[in-house]
Amino acid sequence: MAEQTERVKTYIQGFDEAMQGGIPKGHLVLVSGTAGSMKSSMCFNILYNEALNGQTGLYVSLEQSYESLYKHFINMGLKLDNINVQSIKDLSKIDEVVNSAKTVDKGSIIIADMGCIRKEIKDIRVGDNKSWLNVIKNIAKKIKMETNCSLFVLDSLSALYTLSRFENPRVELFYIFEFLRDMSLTTYLISEMPLDGRKYSDYGIEDYLADGIIHLRLTPFRRNVVREISVVKMRATDCNNDVFSLEFKSGQFQALYGGQNPLL
Amino acid sequence: MKITFGLKRLLGKGKRGQIKEKWKFDSKTSLLAPPIICDLANTGQKNIVFGTNNGKIYSLDKDGAVKWVFDAKEQVDQVELMFFDVETANSIQSSPNTYDLNGDGKKEVVFGSEMGVVYALNHQGKSLWKFKADGSVRGRVVIKDINNDGKAEVIFGSGDTHLYILSARGELLQKHEIGAQIESTPETINEKIIFGCNDGTIHCITQAGHEIWTFKTEGKVVAQPAIGKIFGDEKNYIVIGSLDHYLYALNLEGELVWKFKTDGAIYSRATLADINRDKKLEIIFGSCDNNVYALQCTGEKIWSYETDFWIVAPVIVDDIDKDGNLEIIAGSYDHNIYILDAKGNYMLDYVPGLSGVMQQTGSYTDVMTSEPGKVTGKKIWQYQADGVVVGCAFINETKNIVVNTRPGKVNNLEHE
Repeated sequence: MAEQTERVKTYIQGFDEAMQGGIPKGHLVLVSGTAGSMKSSMCFNILYNEALNGQTGLYVSLEQSYESLYKHFINMGLKLDNINVQSIKDLSKIDEVVNSAKTVDKGSIIIADMGCIRKEIKDIRVGDNKSWLNVIKNIAKKIKMETNCSLFVLDSLSALYTLSRFENPRVELFYIFEFLRDMSLTTYLISEMPLDGRKYSDYGIEDYLADGIIHLRLTPFRRNVVREISVVKMRATDCNNDVFSLEFKSGQFQALYGGQNPLL
Repeated sequence: MKITFGLKRLLGKGKRGQIKEKWKFDSKTSLLAPPIICDLANTGQKNIVFGTNNGKIYSLDKDGAVKWVFDAKEQVDQVELMFFDVETANSIQSSPNTYDLNGDGKKEVVFGSEMGVVYALNHQGKSLWKFKADGSVRGRVVIKDINNDGKAEVIFGSGDTHLYILSARGELLQKHEIGAQIESTPETINEKIIFGCNDGTIHCITQAGHEIWTFKTEGKVVAQPAIGKIFGDEKNYIVIGSLDHYLYALNLEGELVWKFKTDGAIYSRATLADINRDKKLEIIFGSCDNNVYALQCTGEKIWSYETDFWIVAPVIVDDIDKDGNLEIIAGSYDHNIYILDAKGNYMLDYVPGLSGVMQQTGSYTDVMTSEPGKVTGKKIWQYQADGVVVGCAFINETKNIVVNTRPGKVNNLEHE
């Protein structure tokens, strides 16, 4: 009898059911979509719900500040007081954050605010042997080693490319994906989809390096816009690849199947 | 003549003996570069010196016993450490160099680290000085009196895109902005410094930093240039490989003389040696197309020998078995050391492929596809090491081969 694959829910009602209950644990998933399609919200919502179950997740934000994210998620109706939310804004204080996640008796989300960390550091010049990519890797390694962290969100890959200026993106991306795979974290890589919509990531190589691709989009309907979600691929999963409408109501994501348009 | 030569080989009048392991040393970390052999204390006793991935420099005696270890780990504050790849932050990625820097008759050991620090140690492994660059120092540090003033200069490139020239006491003499990261080991001739860059450019500059010429290739240039009188006349030529798969021969004015295409990146310095006693220098080098090549001075292939994986380390040309003929030592990423006949193997005119097939136990591709009357690469001995071979050195006095492998083993091999 085949061994049952452990899965992490997306916490989108109607969508997990379309993927045998969720994303296989340890998968690297590209969460791709245009601006405003709720990529960050969907990923944070996974960490939030897993934290309610006592898990620890790391959210590395290269775009939005910790304060901005916190306000946004409170506004979405997430009860962040029910979990332990910590921020890394200063690398010299990372041990305090780790200790908090280790000792608290509830699940944690650790938000690494890379914009703030960059502002704090003025006297380190990145070069051939020093990079911001290494900072992200070392934060992830430390959190993984010293807490029971099982989930990792990188928001976003596109911002990482801007920050790191890869010399040979195809080779370097291969090693980044290898690194993340070795970490055995269930990983969500948020990718701003190019406007031409032909590929799910900046270089295209991410599409086949990832174990799964979840595509979110905004579809104009008459004078309104509908949010939609679909699984493009998910390894080791028998999934429904049809397009679902995506709604967020009363603190919960819902995927509506069967061509139902929530605007009708 | 051709048939007689071929028959001799068929009748087994070839090389005898075998390559056996004499001792093995485990550094318990990865090794990334070949060892060097030197008489540090000027006592006639050879030392084996090499660096490790965790920032240590070892000096072993000829029997593999540790004479001294120097720990080059730098104290870095926690925040700065977060910017490094912790797996390789302290690594020593190239072979050390030795030179009598202070005129005491003994040799100092000089090397650079991934942290960007260049160290000079005395013959007992004690630190004499160190110098910090702003980027990694991945190439070998060169020590030469480039301006013939009687004092040696210490020359190296860095990932911070500068070429540095230090005094023998570690003081900064010159720092030249090159515009691209430098991993190549420089070479010097006639007060000029020649080196490659990660943007594919080969530079020739004066000690004062004035650019004399540049030559552009299509890939990174991380190999050290080899300079020699390849045509057997008075003129020196530069031979250097690029990650664009080509080996280039340039004159000292930076003009292309010829280029030779392989099917893989060329990472290491070519070796120039007269392997066929024609009073010209042949060019022997490895490529990531898995082959060892021997070229004529005109850039035409004499022979090639195919291993099962990349050849990244420089090859060595020497007389391994004291028979008066040269052999070639090549370490491959396929975990093997190959000892090749420098002259190659002449294929019989009338039995294509037979002589090679009878004698070669390794790869037959070249033999089977070669036309009769051609020379092919010929393996004499092969030794399987503990892992990927990152480099070898040859101890001339004892005719031993020292092999560094990626898993951290140092194998001492001898012919018997």
